[in-house]
Order: sequence, then C-alpha cells, then structure tokens
Amino acid sequence: MNWYSFLIIVHLIGTVLGVGGATFAEIFYLKAKRDGVIEPLEVDYLKTSYLVLRIGLFILIISGFGFLLFYRLSGYGGGLLNPKLWAKLAIVVILILNAFLIQIRKIPMWLGASVSLTSWYGAMILGAWRTLDASFISIIIAYVIAIFIVVGILELIKRYLKIPQ
Amino acid sequence: MSAFLSVFLIIHVIFGVVGIFLFGGVALNLLKQKPSFKILKWFSLLGFLGLMISWTISGGYYYVTYYGKAIKPIIQAGATPWVHSVIMETKEHIFLFLPFLAFLTMLIIWLNKESLIEKPRLKNMAAIVSFLIMVIGIAIILAGILISGTASR
Repeated sequence: MNWYSFLIIVHLIGTVLGVGGATFAEIFYLKAKRDGVIEPLEVDYLKTSYLVLRIGLFILIISGFGFLLFYRLSGYGGGLLNPKLWAKLAIVVILILNAFLIQIRKIPMWLGASVSLTSWYGAMILGAWRTLDASFISIIIAYVIAIFIVVGILELIKRYLKIPQ
Repeated sequence: MSAFLSVFLIIHVIFGVVGIFLFGGVALNLLKQKPSFKILKWFSLLGFLGLMISWTISGGYYYVTYYGKAIKPIIQAGATPWVHSVIMETKEHIFLFLPFLAFLTMLIIWLNKESLIEKPRLKNMAAIVSFLIMVIGIAIILAGILISGTASR
C-alpha cells in the first residue's frame, strides 16, 4: 500500500466517524427531547456520539494535512490554492467555532445543530465531488443556503414527531 | 527538497496541527462545568510539547536552512509577492505567541487545580487563553497553506 492509499483510507475512516457521529448525535438529541426530559442514559448516548464525532474530526484533520503534505512534497503544491480546498477549510473552521458556541450556549440549538450537520455533510460532499468546478464564494453561498434548508428539515421532523420546542 | 528537510516539514505541520487541536480540546474542556483534570493535564502538556517541536526543532530549522534560500525568492518573483511580505512576515512573528501562551496555560492547569475548581473566573480566563491559542494557530495554519501553495504554483 502506498502513502496515498493509506491517507485515503484514514480520511474515509475520519469522515465516517465524523458524519456518523454528527448524524447520531442529532438523532439521539431529538429522541431524548421527545418526552421533554433528557434522562441519564440519553445523556450517555449523546456524550458517546460527541466523543466519536471528535475522534472523527481529529482523524480527518490529521489525514487532511497528510494530503496537503503529500501534494506539496510530490510537486503538486499548486493545488493548495484550489478554491474547493479553501471552502472546505472554511467549513471546518466554522464547524470548530460552532462547537465552542454550542458549549457556551451562545448559539440557539436549532441553528447550532443545523450548522454542525450541514458542515459535516458539506465537507464530505466537497471531498467526494472531484469534478466540482466552483468558486470559493459560490460554494460558501450554497453552504449558507444549505444550513437554512437543514433548519427547515429539522423543524419539520420536530413537528412530525411532536417534539416540544 | 532533500528527504531530511521533507521529514522536518512533515514534523513541523503535524506536530503544530496536533498541538493546536489539543489546545482546542483544553478550551472546550475548561468551558465545562466539571472539567476533567486528567484530560486537561495531558492535553496541555502534549499540546505544549507539540507546539515546541513544531517551532524549535522542525520549523526553525526548515526556515533557517531552506525557506530563505529556496522558497522566499520564488514567492517574491511571482505574481503575489505580498504572500511573503505580509503573510509570511506576520506568521513568523505572531506564531511566537503560541509556545508562551501554551506554557502559561499548562502551568495554570498543572499548578492551580484547586483554584481552577474554586474560582470560575480563573477557569474562564484559562479557557480564553486556550481558545486564543487555537484561533492564532488556525490563522497560522491557513497562512502556511497559502505560502506553500504560492511557492509551488
């Protein structure tokens, strides 16, 4: 196995853990809020999901920088100026800042959850969509629109499941 | 670039990123009502060591022996010389905050466990310093990617 294949496998593991962790954190949160009380077992599930998510984020960041180093040392360093890469970096920075805002309760949960889910899925889509040829600004505009679409979807799910606000 | 310098560049980037990530973890943990001191102690110690290795052993050597001779002239002769004159100049001065802020945070955590529990203000201040390390670190990481990309264009 060469370094490139190794990095792809590690990056995929990080993505699976991160996207999966974010998805299950939201599912467990919605299920926990259904009866209006978050019980200790539900708190435990949520904590486990967040731990998996953070391990995924760590693996993703380290393997991501592994890719950047690989490109730099293989003579393809010009790719480091690719707008898709910078959009992905911006989304990861927003994801990290969002985690802080949620922790200090300075962002409403409906928005924080939506930013988290959209950022994880957005970063995954940008990584997988190799042929995408878009500017930094257009990717970020699409990302912001997607955040509000996810807000709407989560609101519809809450109404359908009769989850108290 | 020689294999030796390539290894130094890899160490510089990976240890720096890990150090910054760990201080992000320190800040998040300090913001909890009941932080885990076991995690805080390990994260702050390893984060500090990561930043020191990234700065002194690898980054410093790479900068002194390679950047000035091989990378700087390429950037200055290119279409965006400001990447050196503004971004690199800023990076090579602002990064100096990191090891010292990291050392300060590590000392607060290792020597003041009781005070951190009893005084929420001290805990919040330590969280702010850790958060600052992470924010400066992210800015430096982004600057590094821009510099590397410009030099290889």
